[in-house]
Amino acid sequence: MTDFLQLTFAGVSVGAVYALIAIGFVAIFTVSQVINLAQGEFAAMAGLFAISATASGLPLVPAVILAVVSVAVVAVVMERVVIAPVRRMTTLTSIVLTLGVSTALKAALLLIYGPDAEGLTPFSEGLIDIGGVTIRAHELWILAVAAVVCAAVYWFYERTLTGKSLRACAEQPVAARLVGISLGRASLLSFLIAGVTGAIAGVLASPVTFTSWESGLTLGLKGFVAATLGGLVSMRGAIIGGVVLGVLESLTAGYIDTGLRDAVAFLLLIVVLVVRPAGIFGAQVEARV
Amino acid sequence: MESSGGRLPAAGAPPRRITGWRSRRGDLIGLLVLIAFLALMPFVVSGFWVNVAVYALIYSVAAIGLTLLMGLAGQVSLGHAGFFAIGAYTQAVLVTKYGTNSLVASVVAVAVTMAAAVLVGLPLLRLRGHYFALATLGFGIIVSVVATESDFLGATSGIFGIEKPTFNARTYDSATEYLLLLGPVVVIGLLLARNVVQSRIGRALGAVNDSEVAAESLGVNAYRLRLQVLVLSAAYAAVAGTAFAHWLAVVNPNAANFPLSIKFLLISVLGGLGTVWGAVVGALAVEGLDEGLGRLIPKVVPGATGEVELIGFGIALTAVVIFLPGGIHQAWSALVSRLRRPGHPPAESNGGQAAPVADAPSTGEPLLSRSDRPERGTVLLETSGLTQRFGGVVAVDDVTFSVAAGEILALIGPNGAGKTTLFNMVSGVLTPTSGTVTVSGRRIEGRKPHVFAQARATRTFQNLQIFASMTVLGNVMVGRHLRSRAGLMRSALVVPALGEEQAIEADARRLVEVVGLGEDADRFAADLPFGRQRLVEVARALATEPDLLLLDEPMAGLSGPERRELARLLAQLRDSGIGIVLVEHDVDAVLALADRVAVLDDGELIALGTPREIRHDPAVIAAYLGVEEDDELAVELSSTESAGEA
Amino acid sequence: MSELVVSRLHAGYARLEVLHGLDLTVGAGELVAVIGANGAGKTTLLRTLSGLIRPSAGEVRLGSGQMAGVPAEKLAARGIAHVPENRLVFPTLTVQDNLALGAYARGRSGRADLTADRTRVLELFPRLRDRMHQVAGTLSGGEQQMLAIGRGLMARPTLLLLDEPSLGLAPKIVTEIFVALTRLRDDDNLSILLVEQNARAAFKVANRAYVMDRGRIAMEGSPANLLDDPRVHAAYLGGGYTADPTKTPS
Repeated sequence: MTDFLQLTFAGVSVGAVYALIAIGFVAIFTVSQVINLAQGEFAAMAGLFAISATASGLPLVPAVILAVVSVAVVAVVMERVVIAPVRRMTTLTSIVLTLGVSTALKAALLLIYGPDAEGLTPFSEGLIDIGGVTIRAHELWILAVAAVVCAAVYWFYERTLTGKSLRACAEQPVAARLVGISLGRASLLSFLIAGVTGAIAGVLASPVTFTSWESGLTLGLKGFVAATLGGLVSMRGAIIGGVVLGVLESLTAGYIDTGLRDAVAFLLLIVVLVVRPAGIFGAQVEARV
Repeated sequence: MESSGGRLPAAGAPPRRITGWRSRRGDLIGLLVLIAFLALMPFVVSGFWVNVAVYALIYSVAAIGLTLLMGLAGQVSLGHAGFFAIGAYTQAVLVTKYGTNSLVASVVAVAVTMAAAVLVGLPLLRLRGHYFALATLGFGIIVSVVATESDFLGATSGIFGIEKPTFNARTYDSATEYLLLLGPVVVIGLLLARNVVQSRIGRALGAVNDSEVAAESLGVNAYRLRLQVLVLSAAYAAVAGTAFAHWLAVVNPNAANFPLSIKFLLISVLGGLGTVWGAVVGALAVEGLDEGLGRLIPKVVPGATGEVELIGFGIALTAVVIFLPGGIHQAWSALVSRLRRPGHPPAESNGGQAAPVADAPSTGEPLLSRSDRPERGTVLLETSGLTQRFGGVVAVDDVTFSVAAGEILALIGPNGAGKTTLFNMVSGVLTPTSGTVTVSGRRIEGRKPHVFAQARATRTFQNLQIFASMTVLGNVMVGRHLRSRAGLMRSALVVPALGEEQAIEADARRLVEVVGLGEDADRFAADLPFGRQRLVEVARALATEPDLLLLDEPMAGLSGPERRELARLLAQLRDSGIGIVLVEHDVDAVLALADRVAVLDDGELIALGTPREIRHDPAVIAAYLGVEEDDELAVELSSTESAGEA
Repeated sequence: MSELVVSRLHAGYARLEVLHGLDLTVGAGELVAVIGANGAGKTTLLRTLSGLIRPSAGEVRLGSGQMAGVPAEKLAARGIAHVPENRLVFPTLTVQDNLALGAYARGRSGRADLTADRTRVLELFPRLRDRMHQVAGTLSGGEQQMLAIGRGLMARPTLLLLDEPSLGLAPKIVTEIFVALTRLRDDDNLSILLVEQNARAAFKVANRAYVMDRGRIAMEGSPANLLDDPRVHAAYLGGGYTADPTKTPS
């Protein structure tokens, strides 16, 4: 039983990271129908930036903040340079396009940081024992920060006019334009949000899973799978999806085979897409005739 | 297939799709250049570059399949290395562990990979485009994981000791010899692919890319065709995989890895999805780029190791999509058309033969006299209780009517009454919330549009669904899809399907004449004025030899004389025994032409009768001009006016 | 003040020109109706006026400002509000949020106090009063139409464009909405351009009317004259169809 709890808890904490990345996918897709395959790179970049910042002497907190801000800038630049100029963007085009960006970013990270994986300093060191289950102190940080971010995202989209204007763009782009909302600005803002949540995910994950130039691939794809569980349009679904994925992965690795860990995500993806493309937790897509 | 006519996609347009080649002459020249290139290369450049060329050729074979999948079937695959690896591993296992002859093994490898493609495609091709793409990404990764974890497949070390191929006591183990071996494979691969593009199958898939709903309504089963192309592309990948296994002598999980899938993607996109030649050109370019970057980067960033040339790939992929979506092919076409003299004869149309139409055998007069057409009065279409709900809105409410052979039923009603929704429900575009649709005795509600077409029924569209990449003739030829049979095999080999292609074109030309578009037959359909595009849709629909025809506002945009012409044609069709349902806003024309009239208002059938009865029906008059209760409005207004003045 | 003058307007989509040199005017405080058959270009006209479509030629002048070619996002701030076909309310947002977003173009300072505007909207459409916190997607068709109009009004426009507001609505609701339109014209001096299929209802509230046919203005005049003009029936319904069952078609 302790094993089960142990695995579940580990799964929840890595799932929280997936959830944050998934939020980024949903934020962008709802506004502009773009699937951003570079989302994982935002996380990897933030991890590596933070590591090198602390390595050159900066204390942890400023290093993390610097990393998140830098990645946010990269995300915004990416939107302006690569996304905005494309006049007739289809979701498929966006996939190939962002795939190109993601590949280039990956290789750039390899060039700059080399092939080895490193871990950021944990926010708190040490282990904690709760009822026989051993957890890392840092994992509590993951849960806490992720919860705060999710709450902030919720507050943004439900309680601020700007957040609502983004939802308006997603639901009725024509009417949104008619009331004066700029779709270009909305796209920019959505990338900013995705960059920030992705970056936070990256710095949270780094002490536990270690970051390398390649981390973006698996992180990004798993975040995507989580987002798909919400039909790519539901924040709530994405968050739940992330946690579910994390737990399933952890249990599979623990009880069946550690090597199959990565395969879980993709099996889940295929199953969900085939069985219920609108996502398990997403709303039924209404036919717009 | 019709050439692209020099039109280039706008910056940022989605990856260009195959519309066919410039001309037979172009293919021939290309082939000669390629053969010369391969023959001369070993004598001109160093062994190192010959080596690079071998890799390029191997990858190009896989990329030809991917270009077919992306450019023709319109499906993006991000995990194509998965199929490549399955072919490579199968070959490796058979040759090293079971001592199978390499040719026999490659046949098995291709078969196994094709089977895998069927398994992957059956569930996944039902998904919308971007979901399919991401699912293939998952597929590629799963293959990679399986290869890494399986001891039978050698885990991370893979399988090694694969010997070089031996034919006629000669072992092909140098780069030059391998080039010799691969050359014919690539040439044959190109030819087969190009044949498919220009065939009935290629035409049907081109139509699906332009307008899936229209293609389906002409009887094209898009799902099945896409599956066939997926399996074909997997076969190409497997052939490349077997060549790879022998060349490298080792097959390890890197054969399925993500960077390789990206390389294939880049090859196809960079070469240009508009032609299968793109795969070969792209492969040479990408391998060249790979080598070049591999040398350049360590000079710029000392100590750089690993897959840093990916940075070049990533930038290239991004740049191509933004600035040159049609790839190198696009740049090439632009160059060629700039050099081309004006007045150059237009490109040949699909299946265009030199033989004049008169000589070509035809299937007889497809239009006016089909011997086994149902007798006049036979009920062709019956709906019962058809209802459609969208959320809380009832768009069509309990509609019941029938249409018989040899009659024209007009469907009229104000804007938003539900006429097009009704058409969509009958023709399979929408699944009704409740109710039944029976066509010639067959229940088809909820089935896809190609089933409707198979029941000898078809339709035209209110929002034009022209196949924009084709000429008028090409559009109508797609309409002959159900009346022809050449499948993938015959299409690839061309000769067995030749007679049928000629007949298809001849029949299509006749139909084009009948609707009055004779002089526009070889013009791009999208260049015609709006009204004449509607006639293209009508001709296209007639090409399926329907018993039942649904026409959604065919007269909109036509001039007076054109409307009269069309009306005359419709009357002729009715007299020959076809049943027609006609939605029109030219109420006068409709009332003159129709045998019976059904009136829809707010989703309900409010009247059904002869034109004379409808003309005098007060409910109909009210529906069109505004309800009599408007007097309530007048009362309200006068009361507010007086209140305002007080 | 706020007179709309449209001159020689040409507009359409990629390959297809829909408006072929169209002229019309809407005076300050005037309610002008535009009727015509399907495909005449009425919706294209409104989409061009509100900046969703860029005209290929011609002028659109509102008051003293040139509007042709200005994109929709910017036109909202310059006094044009377009209530689109099918209302297009924001379905997961509440009535209150929809209205608040209607004022988006007025900027942060303009949005500081929306009480007066909201009050006016609720005065015109009391049905919305009890539904302020209801999610817009669950409203009935008529309520959504009222909400869409209210949302347009929140921008404090000088010109209100309406695309077939009566579509799919019960006559009673149509009456309520049209009465509200007359109040807006009379009390608030709002200029209104009303595109409608329901000619009778539109003519009852309009000062002037245009009949569109295949991208051009075919006729213009006072509603009283137009309603009985057989040429209107010809252009609108196809020749020969008449509203009076005792008359034989010409």
